[in-house]
Amino acid sequence: MTSVGRAARAFPSMLRIGVAEMVAYRSELVIWFLTASLPIVMLLVWDRVSEGVTIGGYDQAAFARYFTCTLIVRHLSTSWVVWELNESIRTGRMSAALLRPMSPLVFHAAENLAAFPFRLIVLVPLVALIAWWRPEMGVGIRATEVPLFVVSLGLAWFLNFATQVAFGALAFVWQQSLGLFQVYFGVFAIFSGYLVPVRLMPDAVAGVLEVLPFRAMLGTPVELAAGRLVGVDALGAVGLQLGWCVVAFGVSRFAWRRGVRRYEAFGA
Amino acid sequence: MIEVDELTKVYRVPKKTPGLWGSLRAVFRRRYDEVRAVDGVSFRIDAGERVGFLGPNGAGKTTTLKMLAGLLVPTSGNVKVAGFVPSERRAAYLSRITLVMGQKQQLLWDLPPTETFELNRAVFGIDRATFRKTLDELVGLLEIGSLLDRPVRNLSLGERMKCELAAALLHRPEVLFLDEPTIGLDVTMQAVVRRFIARWNEQTGATVLLTSHYMADIAALCARVVVVSQGRVSYDGALDELVRRYAPDRRVIVQSTREPTAEELQEAAPFRLREGALEALVPSREVKDVVDRALRTLPVRDLTIEEPRLEDVIARLFEDSVAPVEREAKEPSA
Repeated sequence: MTSVGRAARAFPSMLRIGVAEMVAYRSELVIWFLTASLPIVMLLVWDRVSEGVTIGGYDQAAFARYFTCTLIVRHLSTSWVVWELNESIRTGRMSAALLRPMSPLVFHAAENLAAFPFRLIVLVPLVALIAWWRPEMGVGIRATEVPLFVVSLGLAWFLNFATQVAFGALAFVWQQSLGLFQVYFGVFAIFSGYLVPVRLMPDAVAGVLEVLPFRAMLGTPVELAAGRLVGVDALGAVGLQLGWCVVAFGVSRFAWRRGVRRYEAFGA
Repeated sequence: MIEVDELTKVYRVPKKTPGLWGSLRAVFRRRYDEVRAVDGVSFRIDAGERVGFLGPNGAGKTTTLKMLAGLLVPTSGNVKVAGFVPSERRAAYLSRITLVMGQKQQLLWDLPPTETFELNRAVFGIDRATFRKTLDELVGLLEIGSLLDRPVRNLSLGERMKCELAAALLHRPEVLFLDEPTIGLDVTMQAVVRRFIARWNEQTGATVLLTSHYMADIAALCARVVVVSQGRVSYDGALDELVRRYAPDRRVIVQSTREPTAEELQEAAPFRLREGALEALVPSREVKDVVDRALRTLPVRDLTIEEPRLEDVIARLFEDSVAPVEREAKEPSA
């Protein structure tokens, strides 16, 4: 059986074990998930700024819709594999995972995906609260574009996961790569649409940001969900996401393979 | 089954002078030391053998095991295990071996051991019927039936080690690398683990390479030992031969009915009074004569002859760090 086939067969069991782990860590997780709720802070800021005015085509309702979509997409496309890799490489816990005849990343992916139902526990009340506070925000996406949004969301998750794997693999060489990842995250937050919609940036900057990978990690599915990316533009943006996924897959695979050969298996 | 030729591993270890200035300097200019953890180790192990891998702390035992298991890439030298080059980390190879580390665990900490067993079943692609059969066998041998549904964090060290062994053997590996599998366990649990390893080896024919600081583990499990010191093999051969070479003396102890006179002691030489008993360290070929003489000249109430303790033998061997390489002729495995 090929390694992909074996991984596919093992994945349901891994998902189930991932869910069992989530249940074991449930209270810690809820707090952890709340930390991914920065879009609510940004919503409050932009809501105040746009009181009675329209900024770059965004009024209060549009900002509410945009940041609600940001909140949803961020929760459903994020990953924490970079922290897991740093911890397990530094402590030598990675050894046990590397002794199995399947990449540890398959299990990490299953763990991350297993968190989705638990993320909804945090997400649903928050979205309901915003909808009660700003009912005029409405629903941006048309039913026909929901499948494209789901694809875009999946690609954004993969892009985030692969990027974190690439950063995490640096820990094989440096033992710690979280500092560098935090720098990256700062850049991501500004350029991806996490803090401010990309289209509010000056035209020249927005034009560049639209082709960089940061928007593909968050902004594209957010704009699709908010109804601001439609038709051919939407297809083009998702196609670009797919391209970045191929690049991220190649880079993370290279970094991981090189990293494993540098592993020093500390602590035992 | 295992062929190791001139295996070498050199680590680059960051060097930092102490204090604030040292820390600041390390930020801008990192300096490294090269540490030869393993320095040209060679040995062969046949299928089904149980071999003890001995050496003082830092001798390179664990590093060697990690290279054999495919966790570390050697700096130079050749290794083949079951026909595979471990550092290539092929799935087919990892499915044939296991490495149990007494100080590291694979069990998922907050879940019951059954979840790790299930994870391994999925990852190793074991069909459910085989999995059930092997698990039942392991549960019976290790007596862990009552532990399976308790979170790992609630298990004692000994219970965890037994579950670790079960997790490591579910895929029925052909080669077992065991790194200090009894470390920290009490004497009873050590004996349980030892018995289990011996029975598993006998039942499955798996090859076992074992490191341990507990000589009782080695004495009970390994007829052959490979001793490494400062990254090199300093002995490879039978355990009995090691004892004979490095501790040829026997200890003859006499409990006397009364304190012997100076004349009696002189005649019975080389006995000396020590902790209320008479003791003599005697080369094994002279034991009979010394015992005869003691029975004839001393007021003997009881007489015992002690074998040298394995710990003492190994300690003597480790002290002799420049010992020449002594290898018994070993045919490479087919």
